[in-house]
Amino acid sequence: SIDMLMSSEKEEDPDVIPEDNNLLTLRIRKKVLERREETIIVDRACRQETLTYEMESHATGKRPDNPTDLIEEGELLLTVNIFYPVIFQKHKDHKPYQTVLVLGSQKLTELKDSISCVSDLQIGGEFSSQPDQAPEHISKDLYKSAFFYFEGIFYNDKRYPECRDLSRTIIEWSESHDRGYENLQSVKMEDYVFNDLSLKIGFPYLFCHQGNCEHIIIITDIRLIHHNDCLDRNLYPLLIKKHWLCTRKCFVCKMYTARWVTNRDSLAPQDPCFFCDVCFRMLHYDAEGNKLGEFLAYPYVDPGIFN
Amino acid sequence: MSAVPGLKEDCEELLGAFQQADTVRFEHFAELWRERRFHTVFYGRMRALERNKLTKKTLEVAQQYFFPPYAFQIRVGALYLLYGLYNAQLCEPKQKIRIALKDWPEIQKFQQDLLDSQHYDAAYIFRRLRLARAFHFTAMPKLLTYRTKKKIEESYFKEEFKDPSNRVNSLITNDVLEELMNIHDHYQKMKCVISADKSQPDKALSLIKDDFVVNLKDITLEHQEWQQNRMKLFRNAKETDETENKKKEGTLLESEGSERANALARIKYRSYSAVVEASKSRRHRQVQLESSESGSHCGKSPTRSKKTRSQPARRGEMQVAKETAARHIGMPIIVEENSDE
Repeated sequence: SIDMLMSSEKEEDPDVIPEDNNLLTLRIRKKVLERREETIIVDRACRQETLTYEMESHATGKRPDNPTDLIEEGELLLTVNIFYPVIFQKHKDHKPYQTVLVLGSQKLTELKDSISCVSDLQIGGEFSSQPDQAPEHISKDLYKSAFFYFEGIFYNDKRYPECRDLSRTIIEWSESHDRGYENLQSVKMEDYVFNDLSLKIGFPYLFCHQGNCEHIIIITDIRLIHHNDCLDRNLYPLLIKKHWLCTRKCFVCKMYTARWVTNRDSLAPQDPCFFCDVCFRMLHYDAEGNKLGEFLAYPYVDPGIFN
Repeated sequence: MSAVPGLKEDCEELLGAFQQADTVRFEHFAELWRERRFHTVFYGRMRALERNKLTKKTLEVAQQYFFPPYAFQIRVGALYLLYGLYNAQLCEPKQKIRIALKDWPEIQKFQQDLLDSQHYDAAYIFRRLRLARAFHFTAMPKLLTYRTKKKIEESYFKEEFKDPSNRVNSLITNDVLEELMNIHDHYQKMKCVISADKSQPDKALSLIKDDFVVNLKDITLEHQEWQQNRMKLFRNAKETDETENKKKEGTLLESEGSERANALARIKYRSYSAVVEASKSRRHRQVQLESSESGSHCGKSPTRSKKTRSQPARRGEMQVAKETAARHIGMPIIVEENSDE
């Protein structure tokens, strides 16, 4: 049969490059492998590699328990890259991003809910005097407005009554003078699915939330759903790639992730200084809970919290 | 994505050998494949993530030979290559071949071509790939990535695999010639009807050459033949040592000994495009061309008179070609100026 013509006749170990090869690819690869063997002491997958591979492939081939959740043929699958707004010096050349797979028939709001940004979790306010009363409300609950910008149209999230139209400012600004942007419109995000949009692949679009936290969104690929993909509708939007950010550790114990940041702290060696919860209380408060020294303390959420 | 080192050369070498073998049968391709043990291209100790990436890049490299402007034979070879690579890959689940929406009609046309020219083994291979769900139907051919490239590599088409840009043939196709023949017959009949003698047209009405359609077809055939010969000659010359100057080529050509060979050599030195390859399907079409025009006088052997008539036409063509900017790829160095006119 035809398949037999392709495969090897005898038992071969795919890890070993055969000696008598006449393929240039293999010769080069063999040299690289030999050099690697000489220089690397332990050749094992590091954490990041395992994470990347797992995230890429964990959902392949999954089928839902409930047959109504099965994705039909002809469904489109979009690969959306969402860039982080953090600006670190080391990210100058390639900005980190997370990649999400979205179905064509899903609403824009579903994508918005799946975007996890650290600015959503910020807690505002200075709490040096009352460290135990750091409120539970995170910014995500307080400021719910968000919008997407695709091809000249702003899609605003209007599901909750406290959501405001953030794009109104921009539209008013562009209409006030003739700046060359025509026809910027504003519509509701929850009325639209991705199939309704006309998009350019590789073109940067915008997602803005919290009033000023902006993410660039780029669609890298649109394709038809395939038999080997995950066919469970509930798992979409599916996160397949995430950038690993190193978390800042507490200055004292260097073990736990920082939960507090202090400014103008007379007890701390640097400004700003990060502490984990335990070290923070031990250093700045005495046994009765009185504040020692002068400082301003803010709850801190590290960007690496999603690792 | 940085390219897999050495892969392009290996693929081109395999496709080149396939082209040399001058066939489109899968058995020959499989032999060449087995000779080179091409399935080992995925070997080498690597972990799953790297293997996925490597397989994706390999399939991408192989896939670009599947589309025009490559010659028919190369495209069939690319189809076989894709089939082989897809089945030989070590990833589980298998990495798929990306086909863009805009390329899909061309592939369907290609499949129809295969069926029409009765290359059933190639059509079967394609069907097997479809059944195995080996394709991802995407909007765009290349998956985008985000590394800043040090230099933009422009896609380089291997010249030898390209189909001859046969503008004459694409203009004077089978259909056009048939139409012309029909119109010509109709015209003759009309002339007969309105002239005094019903069986043949009036002498006063003969304003065109009667056999002009046949002449046109003959000229087209000659042109094609000339192209093939030129390519063969070029190939022969290239195989001999390229560092030798054209003295050796002179002897090679003189050994042919006829005026025609000299003319061909002259044309070769003035030629402007790179090596072209007559594809197998072209030969099929040539056969049809002859048989559709009824009559035994549509042979390929041109008579002397026709040849001298078409020679200046050819010469004129070549003059125009010389004036355009020439790009010699792989041509041997021409030491002295060729002043034969």
